[in-house]
Amino acid sequence: MPKVVEAYDLHRIYESASGFTHALRGVSLAVEQGEFLAIMGPSGSGKSTLMNLLGCLDTPTRGRYLLEGVDVAAYREDELAEVRATRLGFVFQSFNLLPRATVLRNVMLPLVYTACPRKERELRARAALRSVSLDERLYDHRSNELSGGQMQRVAIARALVNNPALILADEPTGNLDTATGEMVLETFSRLRDQGKTIILITHEPDVAAHADRVIHIRDGRQWNANGTAPVVVPAAPAAPAPAPIAQPGGSQ
Amino acid sequence: MKLGDLFYETWHALAANKGRSFLTILGIVIGITAVIAMTSLIAGVQNMLMGELGLSQARQVSISAYTSTGMTFEDLDKLKAGMPDYEILTGSAYASAEITLADGQKSYFSLIGVRPDYFAANGSRLKEGRFFTDSEERNGARLIVVNGDFGLQLFGSADVDMLGKSVRLGNDDYTIVGVLETSSFMGGAPLFVPFTTAQTRLDGERSISQIVGFAREDTDMEQLVESTRDYVARYLNVEPENVGVYSLDSAIKQLETTIASFSLLMGAVASISLFVGGIGIMNMMLTNVTERIREIGLRKSLGARRRDITKQFLLEAIMLCVTGGVFGIVFGFAAAWGLSGVVGAVQPGMSLTPVLAPEVVAGAVGVCVAIGIVFGYYPARRAAKLDPVESLRYQ
Repeated sequence: MPKVVEAYDLHRIYESASGFTHALRGVSLAVEQGEFLAIMGPSGSGKSTLMNLLGCLDTPTRGRYLLEGVDVAAYREDELAEVRATRLGFVFQSFNLLPRATVLRNVMLPLVYTACPRKERELRARAALRSVSLDERLYDHRSNELSGGQMQRVAIARALVNNPALILADEPTGNLDTATGEMVLETFSRLRDQGKTIILITHEPDVAAHADRVIHIRDGRQWNANGTAPVVVPAAPAAPAPAPIAQPGGSQ
Repeated sequence: MKLGDLFYETWHALAANKGRSFLTILGIVIGITAVIAMTSLIAGVQNMLMGELGLSQARQVSISAYTSTGMTFEDLDKLKAGMPDYEILTGSAYASAEITLADGQKSYFSLIGVRPDYFAANGSRLKEGRFFTDSEERNGARLIVVNGDFGLQLFGSADVDMLGKSVRLGNDDYTIVGVLETSSFMGGAPLFVPFTTAQTRLDGERSISQIVGFAREDTDMEQLVESTRDYVARYLNVEPENVGVYSLDSAIKQLETTIASFSLLMGAVASISLFVGGIGIMNMMLTNVTERIREIGLRKSLGARRRDITKQFLLEAIMLCVTGGVFGIVFGFAAAWGLSGVVGAVQPGMSLTPVLAPEVVAGAVGVCVAIGIVFGYYPARRAAKLDPVESLRYQ
């Protein structure tokens, strides 16, 4: 299977008035196409920082990040935007739908920033909504008229609509009750079965259990599943072609 | 991001904040209203002047000279021979007579004795009837040309058909042969009689009180005014300062200068209003950006580039301003109609029609677009520069 994500020795240091914060201290990981990976860690562990890097919302202070084999670590802001528009899909804890816009309009929103012709947008949005099993009668409702579970499925459809290489979900069940959360997670599992690559970030083991494989993050480092020892990070390979690295705690 | 998408987003963003959007654009509305009301009124006034005066009036010159002896028509004929640029050089002399009015009262009235070419030189237009002829003038015919709005005084009704009616002036009966169109600006004398008649029967002055000239086509009026002053002064052997020469052309030019300085003043007031309005727009857009930080973060995470965000917020500011401008154009034109109605009520016979030129509308919209760009750019850039991660986390 080709690798969608290859990250080597990612560091992220934030600079603020109070000094430097070393939020990510060398994380390496690889995700294959069609894999459902969970990144687990307590709050403040650096998992959100990692997600921002993987989602091309931020660039690492050090390290290499290959998305579908393309090194995006040194991309400029507008180039990253292009990558987000065409290769990535996001699902947020708080859904982040435009409240006054209809379901269809929300799902079509990412296509506004792509070259997708207008005629095709609604077709693609409807297809994406079908794959998350949202009732067709809701398509023309405003998104703030929906329940939490429905909203999150709309958000997943929005993440799917540009046919991304990778879907990133940041605590997607955090604002939902257990039963609804379970339904959303099943949606992710079904998408995985259809060949989508998914990275899910959570602090709940029950949620992480839905994934094929779990990576544990604490204090900006990767840890073993039992949390006893940090994973030793291999030195960053020289560009261009790095050798694949071993995934400790993996389940392949 | 396609233009259609931009307009869609803009429309929805503005529609969501209708009340606030309207309050924000009030400054622009007021500024544009003032500009449009002023320009369409001025254009109306200019139209009215031009329409009423006609092109021929620009060739008209009035001459007054202060001499001890006074001027006669013989003098005029000599003057005309020396000034070939005049097609007509004629004059009028005052006379007076006792008239029996509609209510039976007798009253002394001023009359004006003229030669027939006076009407041509003055650009008078007939509503009905005719002017008197040269031979009628020479023979002292008892004929009258009457001003159109004189019916009320003379016959007790404004609508009476005066043509052919008889009027008693002094000891004789006179017949009305011509009725002039009412001219709100020139107004002027009510009754015209032939010059010879005024001299012989109506105790008319021998000397001419007002000289009226009518220049040939394509004459340089400014130059003609100067050369006329010099020539008449030399003829009468007086200082040029004692000869008054005025052309309507120069009067119109002077009026235009007055209008221009008035426009400048109003323009300055309107500019201040538009500037304050622009600051209001900027304030609203900054609030807007702060309120929608999460939306901006979301859009960026979905792939919006900086310029997409810039365009979106810039277009919002422009649309706000243009909406204000459209309201301003409508209100301004309505205000101009209202004002012209007031003018019409105060001064009957003066009908002022406001004129809204397409280039004025285009200019107003252009100004609004410019205000939107100038005052919308900073908020838009601020939105575009927001960090996507921080914006998404913003509460």
